[in-house]
Amino acid sequence: MRKKTITLNTIAAAVVTTFSISHSVDVFSKETEWSGFIENATYVRDKKGLSKFRNTAQAEFTRSIESERWSNVRISGVLRGSYDGVYDLNDDEFGRDAQEDYLGENWHDNSTVSSQALLRPGVAFPCENDPVLCNNLDGYMDEDEHDAKFPEFNDRLDFIRELYITADRELSNGDILNISFGKQQVIWGKTDLFRVLDVINPVDYSRHNIYDELEDIRIPQWMLTAEWRMGPNKVLDDSNLSFIWNIDKFRPNNLGTCGQPYKIIDAGCFFSSYLNLGPGIPIIHDVEDPDWSLKNTQIGFKWEGVYKDTTFSLNALHYRQQLPSLHFRENPAAPGTPLADGVFDIHFPRVTLLGGSVDYYSMNMDAVWRLEMAYTQGEEQPRDLNGHKETDMLRYVIGFDKNLVIPSLGTSSAFLISTQLFGEHILDHEKDMPNDEDNWIATALVKGFYMNNRLSPQVIIAHDFAAKATAVAPSISWTPDNHWSFNLALNVKFGGDEKFPWSVSAAAGQPDVPQAEPLARFLNGPIGVANQEDELQLTVRYGF
Amino acid sequence: MFNKTLLLLAVSAATSIVSAAEIPEAVISQSFFPYADSVPKVDNINVGMMIDQNNVDSVKEVLDPAMYRFIKQGDYSITVGETTDFALHQSYIDATRRYAGATALGNNPGEITGSVAGRPFPQEPRLDDPRAGEKLAFNYKYGYNWGDSAAIYPFYWKYRNMVTAKVERTVKMNFHFLNITHRTQQEPFPALTPNPSNLFRGLYVQVLEPFDVKNTQLLIQRFEDDLKRDNAYLYLGFQRRVRRLSSGQTTDAFLGSDIMIEDFEGYNGRISDMTWTYKGTKTLLLPMYNHNDMDLDTKTHKDKDGYQVIKFGGKGGCFPEITWQLRKVYVVESKPVDANHPISKREHYIDAQTFTIPRNITYDRKGDMWKSWLIGQTHPDHHLPINKGTGVSVDDSFSMVDIQANHCTTGQFKGIVDPALTPLNKMTVQNLRASGR
Repeated sequence: MRKKTITLNTIAAAVVTTFSISHSVDVFSKETEWSGFIENATYVRDKKGLSKFRNTAQAEFTRSIESERWSNVRISGVLRGSYDGVYDLNDDEFGRDAQEDYLGENWHDNSTVSSQALLRPGVAFPCENDPVLCNNLDGYMDEDEHDAKFPEFNDRLDFIRELYITADRELSNGDILNISFGKQQVIWGKTDLFRVLDVINPVDYSRHNIYDELEDIRIPQWMLTAEWRMGPNKVLDDSNLSFIWNIDKFRPNNLGTCGQPYKIIDAGCFFSSYLNLGPGIPIIHDVEDPDWSLKNTQIGFKWEGVYKDTTFSLNALHYRQQLPSLHFRENPAAPGTPLADGVFDIHFPRVTLLGGSVDYYSMNMDAVWRLEMAYTQGEEQPRDLNGHKETDMLRYVIGFDKNLVIPSLGTSSAFLISTQLFGEHILDHEKDMPNDEDNWIATALVKGFYMNNRLSPQVIIAHDFAAKATAVAPSISWTPDNHWSFNLALNVKFGGDEKFPWSVSAAAGQPDVPQAEPLARFLNGPIGVANQEDELQLTVRYGF
Repeated sequence: MFNKTLLLLAVSAATSIVSAAEIPEAVISQSFFPYADSVPKVDNINVGMMIDQNNVDSVKEVLDPAMYRFIKQGDYSITVGETTDFALHQSYIDATRRYAGATALGNNPGEITGSVAGRPFPQEPRLDDPRAGEKLAFNYKYGYNWGDSAAIYPFYWKYRNMVTAKVERTVKMNFHFLNITHRTQQEPFPALTPNPSNLFRGLYVQVLEPFDVKNTQLLIQRFEDDLKRDNAYLYLGFQRRVRRLSSGQTTDAFLGSDIMIEDFEGYNGRISDMTWTYKGTKTLLLPMYNHNDMDLDTKTHKDKDGYQVIKFGGKGGCFPEITWQLRKVYVVESKPVDANHPISKREHYIDAQTFTIPRNITYDRKGDMWKSWLIGQTHPDHHLPINKGTGVSVDDSFSMVDIQANHCTTGQFKGIVDPALTPLNKMTVQNLRASGR
C-alpha cells in the first residue's frame, strides 16, 4: 500500500535527518565520509532553444559501524536534489503552457490522417490543464510543472536516492554472507545503454531519454539482498549466490510527461491525447496502480562466478513489466469501438525472466567478448488489435571490448573501443505489431584519454535497424583538477521516419495506409522518435 | 665393466640429487647478506655528504645516467646515508635453501620449473651466461617484495607539471597485494588453495578520491604461467558494473599517470615479452633509507597514528627528499620482443640483496632517454611498528619522470604489512561489486 511506502520513506528521511544534525556525537561524525557534487547541465535544442537548465546537488555518505558479530558494517546513502529552470526560462516550448499543433509535431510531419484528424494534440502537464486526463493518469503521469522543476521532492521522497545498511558475516567454512537492506540500486548484467538483465530497478527516462548514465536514472527501490560469497573452489576461481527481494511498492519507468523536454517515444503526449470521436475519448482511462502486498513484491536469484578466462552469471527474476501495456476497452454495444470514457487502460503485467551473461577474454585477440541474454514470459507488446499481446521475449547483447594504444593519435593511453549488438526477438509476433519480430540496435563507442586522463574525447554511435534511425553523440570532457569537470557534447539523431498502419484510419477511408500515429512510435523507438532533438550540451560539475 | 658403468651412473645420480637439493651456504650468504663483512666504500663518497650539481662529476660512477643528468642540471640533489642491511624475512631465505636447487629455466624464454618459493636463482650471475638476465628477472618476479601480502593504505599519486610544479591531480587509493603461490611466511604456505587457475599473485586497487573516479576499482590476477596474460577487471563507480579489460596493452598509462602498466614496481609484464641481458654488477647509490629519520610531508596525509608520508622536492616537486645509500646493484637491460613496442629498452638497476628495482631508465625507440623510474624503499624496522621484523623492503615513495614531456607522477605511501588487510576474498571479482557503491 502507498501508506507503507510512505512509512518506509519517512523512516529513511528521519534517519537522514538524524545523521545530518548529530554533530555532537564525535565518534559518529569522525567516521562518516561525505562526498558529492554540484552541477549545472545546460542543453540547447535545435529550433527549440533551451531544453535543459538543470542544477543538481548530490551528497553521498558512508558510515562504518563497529560490530562484534558482523564485519564491514556500514550505512550508505545518496541524497539528490535538482531544479530544472527550463520551465521558467523557455516556457513557450516546455511546461504547462507548451502546446503542439498536432500529436507528434515534435518528431514527424502532419502528412497522415492519424495526426491530421483522428488524434488530438497531447495536453501538456495534464494535471495543470485537463482535470479529466489528470484523473485518468493519476499516479502515473500526474506531475504538475512544479514537480517537473523539482523532480526529487515528491511524496515518494525521491531526494533520498539511496539509504541502506550492509554487513558481512563470516561463516564457519570461511565463506562470507552479506546482507543489505534499504533503498538501493541492484545492477545485473554487463551491457552499456541497454537493459537486458539490468531490470530490477525502474528507470526515469524523463531526465534525458536513454542517454544519461543508468546510475543516475535508475529509480532506487527498497530491497533486501543476501549474498553468499563462496570464493574459489576446485573448479571455479569465484562463485557467488545472491537473492534479492524488492519489497517496495511497484513503480513503473518514468516516460516523461507531455510538456517535458524528454518524453521517450513521445508516449507522454500520446497518453494525454484524445481520440477525435464525438466530444473526444481520452486515450487513457486508468492506470493500474498495484497495491503494496507481499504477493506484489518482486524476487530474484543470481549465481555468478569465474571459470578460467570466463566470468558468467545465471539470473532469474519475477517482477513487473516497467513499460506500460495498453489494454483496449471495447464498447460491448459497438464492438471494435472504445468505451466513451477512455480507449485504453494501462497495465503492468507480471513477468518471469531467466537469463545469463558471460564474458571471455581472448588472449589472441587481446579483447573481451561478452554475451548477455534474457528470456521472459509474461511481457505484453503493443499491437493494433486490442492494444497488446502477451508474448515471450528474447533479448540479447553481444559485445566486444578492446583497449588499444594508438601512438599516432598523440597519446600513450589506450583507447577504449567497445561495440555492441542488441537484439530483440518477439516469439509470438503478429503482423499488427509495430515492433519487428526481430530487431537489432548496434552501438559503437570510442573513448580516448589525453593529458593524464584529464582530457577525454569520445564518440558514441547507435543505430536502430528497424527504425532506420541513428544517434551520434560526440563529446569531450575536461578535468582540470580534483574538483572541476566540464563536458561538452553534441547529440544528433537521424531517421525515425517509419510509419505503421492503424486500423482506426479505415474510418477515415485509409485502411492499411501506414500512419505516423500512434503505433509508429514503437517502430521508430527511442532514437527515431527523438529525431528533432538534436542538442548541444554543456555540463559543469564541482565535486568534493 | 658393466658394474663399473652402473656404479658411475649411480654416483652421478647421487651427486645430481645432492646438487638439486642443496644450495651452498656461501651462495645463500652472498645472495642475502652481501654486507655481512663490509659495506661498499667508494672514494669521494661519505655518509652525510650532499651530491649536487657542483660535485656530481666527482661521483658520477655511483649514479645511474638519468640520476646523474638530473643532478647535473640542478633538478635534484642527493644526501648520502649509511648502507644498511635490508635483510629479508628468514622464511624466504629458508624457502630459497629448500627449493632453489631444483629450479631451472625452461627451453624457451619465460619458462621456469621447480620454483615453489624463495629466490629461484641465488647464485651470482655470470656475464658468460646468456640467460643470466632472465634468471635475474625471475628473481625479481618471485622476489620477497611486499611479502606474502601487504597493503598501501592509503597511497597518494600526484600528477605534476615539472616546469611549473603545479599538482594537476591528486589521486588517493588503497592498494592490496596478495601472493597466492610462492608464499613463505603467512599461513598457509607455500600456496593458498583452492587455486584452480594457478594464479600467482593478485593486485587490488580501490580509488578513494577525487570524486570523479571515486569507487573505481581494479583487480589484476597474475598467473603462474608467465606466457598467460593477466586477468584484469575494472569497476567504474558511475557504471556500477565490473568490466573485463583486455590486458595486453601493457604500455597503457596506468590510471592516466606517467607510468605504463608495464613499468609498475619496476617491471610489471611477462618475462617472455622481453629479452634480458645481464650487464654487470656495480656499486651505485640507490634510494633506500629509514622513513622515520626523514623530513616528512606534514600536509598530504594525517591520521590518528601520526604517520606522515615522504616529502617531495626538487624540480617540479618530482623527487623524494630521502637519503641514498651505496648498494650492490645488478644492471640488467630488457628489450621488447615486440617490434611495435614504444620503447627500445629499459635499464634496470636491481638491488642485489632485496631484488627490488629501485631505479629504471626507459629509452624510446630512437634510443633517447624517455622516462626515469625511482622507487624509494624504507627499512621496515624504521617505519610503522607493525612492519618491524617483517623483512620487507617497504616501498615508500616513487617518482616517474617523463623527461621528454617534463611531467612526472609521484607516489607517497603508507605501506602496511598486515595479512588482515588483504584476505583472499579481496582478490575476487565479487569483491569489486561488493566494495563499489
